[in-house]
Amino acid sequence: MADKQFVADSPALLDIYKRAALLKANDERARKVILSGQVAMAYYSYRGQEIIPSVMGNVLRDDDTICTIYRGIHDMLGKGFPLKELWAELAGRSTGSCKGKGGPMHLTYPPKGIMVTTGIVGSSAPIANGLAWAAQLDKSDRVSVCTFGDGASNIGAVHEAMNLASVWKLPTIFVCQNNLFAEHTKFEKMTGGQNIANRADGYGMPGVRVDGNDPEAMYSAFAEAVARARAGEGPTLLECMTFRFFGHNFGDDDSYIPPEQKAAAMEADPVPRFRARLIADRIASEDELAAFESDVEGQISEALEFALSSPWPTADELRFDVFEKEIAA
Amino acid sequence: MAFQVTLPKIGFSMNEGILSEWLFEDGAQVAEGQPLYSIESDKSTNEVESPASGTLKIIGEIGETYEVGTVIAEIG
Repeated sequence: MADKQFVADSPALLDIYKRAALLKANDERARKVILSGQVAMAYYSYRGQEIIPSVMGNVLRDDDTICTIYRGIHDMLGKGFPLKELWAELAGRSTGSCKGKGGPMHLTYPPKGIMVTTGIVGSSAPIANGLAWAAQLDKSDRVSVCTFGDGASNIGAVHEAMNLASVWKLPTIFVCQNNLFAEHTKFEKMTGGQNIANRADGYGMPGVRVDGNDPEAMYSAFAEAVARARAGEGPTLLECMTFRFFGHNFGDDDSYIPPEQKAAAMEADPVPRFRARLIADRIASEDELAAFESDVEGQISEALEFALSSPWPTADELRFDVFEKEIAA
Repeated sequence: MAFQVTLPKIGFSMNEGILSEWLFEDGAQVAEGQPLYSIESDKSTNEVESPASGTLKIIGEIGETYEVGTVIAEIG
């Protein structure tokens, strides 16, 4: 693959922007409805990290699978999670993708390859390997993406999964979104070597550190990893550098984040920066983007109304979807 | 219909919060997005913006602890 360059063309860039604009608007709405008391849920804002999943959503096919952890709503929405089923699940309603029984911590939507959102840091990696192994056994060229954070890069299961993926040449793409904080702990304080991508060497797979807020750099790195996996050449570890604007858990007082670091990151907000660039390069007009963004707000409103007007799951639902057959009443 | 302002869940383990301050008086005109009240929970204090525009009818009392989801005001 080394001789081939992967460059995002104009339609790809526009699609990536549209996904990022949806993610940004959805996060803004989520924070608003939580504060207004309309929806009560655990929420981990991904604002600032929109470019990474938007690129992944553009490059991946519906039959490619993705596994993430509980602060990965952006990963799932970027891959095409439908808004109504998403909002109904966030709000815990019976019309949600898991009938309201999974909530924001366990978003799942198999028709789009959105397989698992786990509540355990680092646990997405072995599961993604299982899906990659299934693809290999099926002789399919679909790929399996696992996303995790810089904190999870120090979890044993992630390393075991990287080793096995390399040995078996699994089509797993390990996407580390390094937002410089593991919950409330700085990257510098808990990560030896200060470079996660370099760890790929130890497992015999390519490792690439990329600016995850740069759509073109992110596209090149990710598309190459996907092409390698589809061709049966095995896994890749990507370390995508980024930042989250609103702390770990929404409601944090953020006192552990240096204010100047946060201010600088927000000043370099990747979404409006990308938007301005698309207009400057005449890939899209201001009117076209504004119309799209307005449409997205309408779609989110509609999804939210659908969610809030849907019924809660009944207590009897506890007997279903745990085992293959229902549990006797 | 009046918009019901309910106590939000802002924190993984937050089940209740103390209403620490109203930033407007009862009967005041408030606009969506203006800081409306503050709550204390899980060792942090948060100012919460008004979710709607209109006349504020205060229900929750300062210093009282309320469960998440309790109606603390109406905006009509």
